[in-house]
Amino acid sequence: MTDLLFSDYLNNLFTSVYETVLNPRKRVFYGYILLALMLAACWLKWHKGQTARQIRQRLFSRSIWWSESARADYKILLINKTILLAIVPLFITKIALATLIFQQYYSVFGFPPSSGSILPGWAVPICFTLFLFVLDDFARYFLHMLMHRWPVLWAFHKVHHSARTMTPFTVLRTHPMEGLLFTLRSILVQAISIGTFLYLFGNQVDLITVLGVNVVVFIFNVTGSNLRHSHIAIYYWPWLEKILISPAQHQIHHSTLPRHFDKNFGAILAIWDRIGGSLHLSERDTELKFGVSHKVIEDEQHLKTLYLKPFGDAWRSIRRTRPTR
Amino acid sequence: MKLKKIVSAVALASLATFGMTAQAGEKAYADFPVTVKDYKGNAEHSVSYGGQMARHVLHTSLKKLAGQGNGQANPELKAKMMAYFEGKDAGRDIISPATKGAFVIEQTKVDALSKKKNLAGKSYKGAVTSWPGNMTGAEVLAFMIDKASSADKGYDKVNGLDYAQLISKFAMGAVFYNQAVDNYLDEKLEADTKPNDKAYKEGKPYTGKEHVWDEAFGYFGTPAHTLSLTPKQAYSIAKAKEDALALADADKDGKVSLYDEMVFAHAYYAAGADKSGKTNYLHTITKAFIDGRQLITDAKGEKLSDAERTKLKGYAAVIAENWEKVIAEAVFKYAGSTYKDIEALNAALENKGDVSKVLRKYAKHWGELKGFAMALQVSGKDLGATGVQLNRLIGFSPVLLGNTQVTGIDADGNYVQGNTVTLDEYALNMLKVQQLMVDQFKVEARSKDVLASMNDLVKKLGEQAAEAEND
Repeated sequence: MTDLLFSDYLNNLFTSVYETVLNPRKRVFYGYILLALMLAACWLKWHKGQTARQIRQRLFSRSIWWSESARADYKILLINKTILLAIVPLFITKIALATLIFQQYYSVFGFPPSSGSILPGWAVPICFTLFLFVLDDFARYFLHMLMHRWPVLWAFHKVHHSARTMTPFTVLRTHPMEGLLFTLRSILVQAISIGTFLYLFGNQVDLITVLGVNVVVFIFNVTGSNLRHSHIAIYYWPWLEKILISPAQHQIHHSTLPRHFDKNFGAILAIWDRIGGSLHLSERDTELKFGVSHKVIEDEQHLKTLYLKPFGDAWRSIRRTRPTR
Repeated sequence: MKLKKIVSAVALASLATFGMTAQAGEKAYADFPVTVKDYKGNAEHSVSYGGQMARHVLHTSLKKLAGQGNGQANPELKAKMMAYFEGKDAGRDIISPATKGAFVIEQTKVDALSKKKNLAGKSYKGAVTSWPGNMTGAEVLAFMIDKASSADKGYDKVNGLDYAQLISKFAMGAVFYNQAVDNYLDEKLEADTKPNDKAYKEGKPYTGKEHVWDEAFGYFGTPAHTLSLTPKQAYSIAKAKEDALALADADKDGKVSLYDEMVFAHAYYAAGADKSGKTNYLHTITKAFIDGRQLITDAKGEKLSDAERTKLKGYAAVIAENWEKVIAEAVFKYAGSTYKDIEALNAALENKGDVSKVLRKYAKHWGELKGFAMALQVSGKDLGATGVQLNRLIGFSPVLLGNTQVTGIDADGNYVQGNTVTLDEYALNMLKVQQLMVDQFKVEARSKDVLASMNDLVKKLGEQAAEAEND
């Protein structure tokens, strides 16, 4: 029996690794990366007036893609898969949670409303897709904000911010403890959305997709979401940056300048930061450096530091809450 | 020259016949040789399960009779039904199935299949906790027969009970399923009973174990040539569709033999579930039966060794497990149908439409749900908490308008009603029944899945996977 489980695990691991760049649902799907490179090239050419040679150097710089920090990104990506793949199946499934939520609605409100009484059939998939997107985006902002403000969580989220260079793969520079929280967040958001909409609209509910991907996520990805973790500071008009987080704004989030700390927690929408007071528009003329702080610590990119030190930091931050005499 | 021509013609004809009866190479549950060591008779093979097929037609005929009441007390109808349930009289007609258009059926009398058989004597002997009154299987069926005989076409409007469905679905469980999995495929496989080195009975061409296995097979209700039929084809045979004659008539004699060419009882429901393409119950169960029978034949009339017995029990376990799932799939399906009926009922009440037709459908589907749920619990295995939950969710009758439900039977055998749950809550119960079938029995065909769209949505959103993307 354990043989079967282990070979299943290895199978899933293998699939998971090559799926990283082959699955359109993933941020680093090779198609999205290619598009991001093209967008960056266009930006550098037409907005910054750079030559083809300069663009090539900027986009494919070895000092970015093969820096010590980037190498740590790649190692973390692979190691995380082995860990998370073993743990995530132990969670409640989204389908079980969605069913629970659905049944709760039933217990409280009785029989669902009849088909078409709230919204016409054609509007339901649109509403569901939008609701899921908005709830998911808010949940990402909120959890991200907590990860900065709550010392115990910051101990683990620091790992992501310890990146000195940024490539699209930096999005997967995550401590496993963070990964667990992100997974739970995702399960909760999807279960609430499915359970609620299924109760209200029954089998009219559907997800609008492109290439099997949620249409909003798809649009986000083909319009350069991968540029958020890059050194190409693409910015939007100020009015747009109050609605959507630009790559430049996310790079500010990673900046080592103290005035940039705890800003721009948002994923796609900027409105949550605006409401929460953490919105920071892009600074066109500021050259940014990335990391937790400007001071470089010698073993900060070592796996031991990245995986194990956060536990010690988290423990110490809890202990600090003890009353002092 | 002429002789040569005749011989060639005969050779060709027999080759052609052989080709037709070879069933495209798929093994049939037939033609297993005689292995009884000192057999002196002239039987060519050892397969025999006529008694079981007689009980199948007793059941189908009983179901037909259950729908013939006129709403008044009817001792004549009751006696007729009891003749098919309890009686062993000679001369009983096969009321159903009967020849329908091109679908010609060979036998018209029960005796043609086997004499002196009844259902009552082989009914589940334990207490049926899913029906009020603490009765045995036979007592529950007799009780239902009594009620059916005085109901209007088998339908009790006041309590929402459809007796044709209840009797049929429960009898299939209490007699066929119980006898097969709790008797023939269980105790009767042991070394100390019906051994393989003796004839089942003096003078018979089959050994103890051969016959025990045949009887279990007979109770499943599937034709001998099942492995050459698709589930869809088996389903159409059971429905006696016009074009199904060719499919059923394996020996090409222009008739469907109810002995080994017809689809009955749970085999029909297995085929129904398999039509979804998601399951393979019919062939899995049939193949296990055939493989087990082959194993016994290969023992050549000697006692089964420990290794052989273990292997045989393995086949029996496959059969029992899949048979149970077939019944669970049916419970799942009819819970979904009942849910939809409640939905329709609510809609009809809101629009002030005709509720009587919806109520009739509701009672029919509920009867099927209840009958199968009761059948699930008479395998001889105690379902424990699952059984308790199932019975509490479904109750003793559907929840009726006014939110009342049957809660028991008084000393005179009359139903007692009370307020239990609202109709809305009862609809939720139906969802929970479906959930229970998924959780406890891992049903996969899931016909009439109320939460089907949930599964589809989850698939679209992507399988449960680790979220490592850090924004």
